[in-house]
Amino acid sequence: MSKRSFLLITAVGILLAAVPVWAHHAFSAEFDSSKPLKLRGTVTQWELVNPHSWIHMDVKNADGTVTSWMIEVGSPNSLFRLGFTKSSLPPGTEILVDGYQAKDGANLAVGKNLTFPDGRRLFLGGSAGDVKDGSAGDPKK
Amino acid sequence: MRHFAFAAAVAVICALVWLTSVPAAGQSAQSGKAYTPAHTPDGQPDLQGFWTNNTITPMERPKGLGAKEFYTEEELNDLIKHEKNRVALNEEEGRPTEPGTDADVHYDFSQFGLDRGQTKEVWNRRTSLIIGSEGTIPTMLPEARKRNAAIAAMNRGHEFDGPENRPLSARCIVLGQESIPMLPGGYNNNLEIVQSKGYVAIMHEMNHSVRIIPTDGSPHPPAAIREWRGDSRGHWEGNSLVIDVANFDPRNPFRGSGAKLHVVERFTPVDKDTMLYRFTVEDPETWDKPWTGELAWSRVEGPIYEFACNEGNYGLRNTLHGARVAEEAAAKKAANK
Repeated sequence: MSKRSFLLITAVGILLAAVPVWAHHAFSAEFDSSKPLKLRGTVTQWELVNPHSWIHMDVKNADGTVTSWMIEVGSPNSLFRLGFTKSSLPPGTEILVDGYQAKDGANLAVGKNLTFPDGRRLFLGGSAGDVKDGSAGDPKK
Repeated sequence: MRHFAFAAAVAVICALVWLTSVPAAGQSAQSGKAYTPAHTPDGQPDLQGFWTNNTITPMERPKGLGAKEFYTEEELNDLIKHEKNRVALNEEEGRPTEPGTDADVHYDFSQFGLDRGQTKEVWNRRTSLIIGSEGTIPTMLPEARKRNAAIAAMNRGHEFDGPENRPLSARCIVLGQESIPMLPGGYNNNLEIVQSKGYVAIMHEMNHSVRIIPTDGSPHPPAAIREWRGDSRGHWEGNSLVIDVANFDPRNPFRGSGAKLHVVERFTPVDKDTMLYRFTVEDPETWDKPWTGELAWSRVEGPIYEFACNEGNYGLRNTLHGARVAEEAAAKKAANK
């Protein structure tokens, strides 16, 4: 392995290690890792609140009855900056949720992945441009 | 999807505008002379506007880099390329976690615009935020280790007793990136500075909190008065805003700090779109010496959006209710034995 690759891998390893602490709370305290679920239903409401927004959806059961679920998803600030608004997810939209149920057994889940029936992901923003800050990193100065 | 196309178009335009190299500390790009910022009507250097401090430079130097304080330009470009490739993948492809584990219980950050690579990142050649040949936080003193272990032991087994036992961030009281020193978190690393005569105010989008910093020469309040983010008193040194922060509430520690935490921050504009943020941390009851870090703030488009954390914090209620249900189930099981 070249020295350059080693440096890169080392630095990237540090970044990856930081991932689980991004949320403002530990999801594993609220949702149960032993209760994975997949839901298919229609959106009835998208509560655009912080710190996490919540999608309300109706899921049709095998016996024809309907169960309402609430799905915890991302902070609205970030989605709004990427061009997503309340009208991006109107009531009646059919979605699939892949997530984990709440520890109290209620019809609440964390929406790990949300997709449309054709497989497209529900929200997927692009990455914005960056700036190189030579000021703090130039040893010659 | 129309919105995706719109977001992608915005991203491309932003990339063209932002992908520029900025000059060295205090020097303008063209002339190499010290940069002189505009001034407010009452004569302060004008730092006002919207900023981001979003960076992936780690606090401590990655192991294996030794005393290497700076990447070469080539190495930096490799890192940027790697980061862009990572962002192009979604969470599942780029950072798979084992199904059925606690680590898997989260949502796909990239899907919700919460991956820090989806917003403007400020890059520089530093291998760590901490400056100097060591690049690491100094050794923690034995008494500080003991103190922190005792604090952790006190809550052990009581983590879910009530809201007071939950972390400050889960209660929306104070989040990591709004604390002092001001370091970026995973998302919403957006800030606004407003100045008036004798005051500088810094608002952080994450938790929508405002630091009000008197620059009128007034002293810190008596030591008995403690604040989650300490008490800030500023003054101007040339074009730099220097803030002395003391009176921290030790219940919101910084990297294991105690009641004697003292931070000095220095904001220095280096061109019209960039400011250097340098912080020095000391706590004689926690580390064997002071330590200093540096990162840049870069201008972004406003406005700052609301972050009414408590209004929608269903997560706290759900977490505590989950614990009550588990207790009930355990009690029933014990009774049936």
